[in-house]
Amino acid sequence: MPYEYLDHEADIGLEATGARLEEALRDGVRGLLALLVDPETVEPRQAVPVQATASDPGSLFVALLNAVLAAVDLHGMFFRDFELTHLEQVDDHWVVEGTLWGEPIDLNRHAVEIEVKAATYGGLLAEENEAGWRLRCVLDL
Amino acid sequence: MNRALHVRKIHEYLFEIPPHGKMRVPARLYLDERSLRELMENQSSEEWNALKQLENVACLPGIVKAAMAMADVHPGYGFPIGGVAAFDPKDGGVISVAGVGFDINCGVRCLRTHLTRRDLTGKEEKLADTMFEVIPAGLGSTGELKLSTKEIDRVLREGARYAVRLGYGREDDLEYIEEHGCLSDADPSVVSHTAKQRQMAQVGTLGSGNHYVEVQVVDQIYNARAAEAFGLELGQIVIMLHTGSRALGHQIGTDYLPFLEKATRKYGIEVPDRELVCAPIESPEGQQYFRAVMAGANCAFANRQVLAHLVRQAFWKALRVPDTAIETLYEVAHNTVKWEMHEVDGERRRLLVHRKGSTRAFGPGRPELPERYRAVGQPVLVGGTMGTASYILVGTEQGMRETFGTALHGAGRAKSRRQAKRQYPAERIIEELRKQGIIVRAHGKASISEEAPGAYKDVEHVVEVMCNAGIVARVARLRPIVCLKG
Repeated sequence: MPYEYLDHEADIGLEATGARLEEALRDGVRGLLALLVDPETVEPRQAVPVQATASDPGSLFVALLNAVLAAVDLHGMFFRDFELTHLEQVDDHWVVEGTLWGEPIDLNRHAVEIEVKAATYGGLLAEENEAGWRLRCVLDL
Repeated sequence: MNRALHVRKIHEYLFEIPPHGKMRVPARLYLDERSLRELMENQSSEEWNALKQLENVACLPGIVKAAMAMADVHPGYGFPIGGVAAFDPKDGGVISVAGVGFDINCGVRCLRTHLTRRDLTGKEEKLADTMFEVIPAGLGSTGELKLSTKEIDRVLREGARYAVRLGYGREDDLEYIEEHGCLSDADPSVVSHTAKQRQMAQVGTLGSGNHYVEVQVVDQIYNARAAEAFGLELGQIVIMLHTGSRALGHQIGTDYLPFLEKATRKYGIEVPDRELVCAPIESPEGQQYFRAVMAGANCAFANRQVLAHLVRQAFWKALRVPDTAIETLYEVAHNTVKWEMHEVDGERRRLLVHRKGSTRAFGPGRPELPERYRAVGQPVLVGGTMGTASYILVGTEQGMRETFGTALHGAGRAKSRRQAKRQYPAERIIEELRKQGIIVRAHGKASISEEAPGAYKDVEHVVEVMCNAGIVARVARLRPIVCLKG
C-alpha cells in the first residue's frame, strides 16, 4: 500500500511508504487528497504548484500536507492528483516542490468527504529502512 | 509499560498518576473505574494514547498543580482531548500549540428561543431544509460574506463585535459570549497573509467533522434556580452551534508549529513528544504566538456570531420566527489558552490556562460572568451526539478549586473514525435517527458515519461522572430534533 489510514479515536493517522522519499511524500499527498473528496469525481484540468520547506523529512511531510490543504482554500479547487517535481536538501533544510492537478470546486459534482484541519506533529515518523521510506503523522479532522 | 500499576484512586471519580520519569506534577483524571478501564483497554497506539499524552503534558516547564483530564478524555495530538493545564510564567511556564489545537477557540453557542416543542410540530423537515440551504457547511462551502484582507484584520482585532457592526446579530448577543466575543491581545500583524487569504471566503461557514447546528428541546430541568437564571423551561426549543476559527485558525497552528519548534530548541526545553513544542510564555516567541492565537480566537467569535445570525435567518425563512425570539444564552469555547486568576494553595496566581477539548466552567461570583448568571455560575455547554442528549451544566466552587474552573466539552469519542465508518453506514444512521424523531441533513457522507452516536462515549455517563465529582452540576438536558452537519 503506498498510503494507509491508521486508527485514531479523534482524528486519523496517515502513513505513506515508498522506495524513495519522493514516492512516500507523493503518496502521502495522494492519501490526503482522497480523504477530502472522491478523486474520481474531480477532473485534472488545472495545475497548481505547491512548495514546502522544513528542517527534516518528517516536518517536510507535515509542511507539504499543510501546503496542499492551504491550496484548496487559496485556489477554491479540489485536486485529483499530485506529482512531485523536485526534492532537495540544501544545507540544514529540505525543499519539496510539486504540482497539484484539479479543478474549481463544484459541490454539485464533487463527492465531498471530510474537511482536514491540518497535518500535525502528532505521531510523527520519518524513517528509512531497507524497504525505503516510511512517513506518518496524525491529521486533525 | 503497565500504566495500571501507577494509577492511584483518590476517590470514586478521580484517579491520579503520581509523577514518575520526567513528570513535574501528577496527572489527574476525572473518571470512574469503568471509564478508566475502558480508557486503558481502548488505546489504539502507545504513541497516541491519552494517558501517555497526559503524562507528557505533566512534563512541561512551569505546569501548576496537575495535568488534568475530564471524563470525555480521548487521544489527541500532543495534548489529550479533554485536557486542561495551567502554567505560571514565574516558574518558566510555557505556551504550546498542541494545548490549543489547530481549531483555535472552537466552541459552542447556545441560543434559547421563545418557541416550544409544539411550535415546531410538523415543521421539522421544512426547518431542516431551510437550515441546509441558508447555513454554509461542509468542505468547500463559502460564506456570503467576502472580506478583504483589511476587513479580515478587523475580524481578528474585534471578533464578534465586528460581525455585529456588519449587521450580523445584535449588540445584546455580545454580553453572553465569553470575553464578550473579543480578546484585546489579538494582533493581526503576526498572522500570515496565507492565513488571512484562506479565511476570506470562510467567515460564516460551519466546517465539517464534529461541527454542527442542532435544534433541541429542553426535556429535563434539574436545577430550577440556575434554569431560571439561564432562561430555560421544560419543552423550550434551544439551538446549539458548534464551530471554530476555520481555515485561519488552522493556518495559524500550521505556521507556528515550526516556529515554536525552533523556540523549543533555542530555550533548551525538553519535550517528550514533538507535537508538544512550546516557548516560555514571556519569551518574544511565546508572546508572538499568544497574540496570533488571540487573533485566531477573535476569528472564531466572529464566525459563530455570523452563524448565529444565519440560524435566525433560517428560523425566519422557514417559520416566520422574528430574530428577537432567538437570544444568545451563552457561548463558550473549548480549544483555548487564556490568562486567568486562580487560587493555588491559598495564593492568588495569574496563570496561562490551556484547555484542549475542555470547557471553561467558572463557579458563582466570578467577575468574568454576565451579571445575570453571576450568582449561579457559568453555563457549561456540553454537546452530545446527533442521537443523544446534550447538556447545560453550571460551574461550581469546587471546580474552581480543583480544575481551574474547567469541565468536559462533549461526550468524547470512543471509536475511531475508520471504525465508525465501517460500522455505521450513513443511510442506516439517518433512518434510525428518523425513527427516533431526529431529522439529519449533511453535506458530506463521512460526517454522518464518523459522527454516528455509537462512535461516542455515553454522554449520560460522562456527565454523571463530572457531576458526581462535584466539578459541575446539571441544569438542563436537551434532546435533538433537527441536526445540520458539514
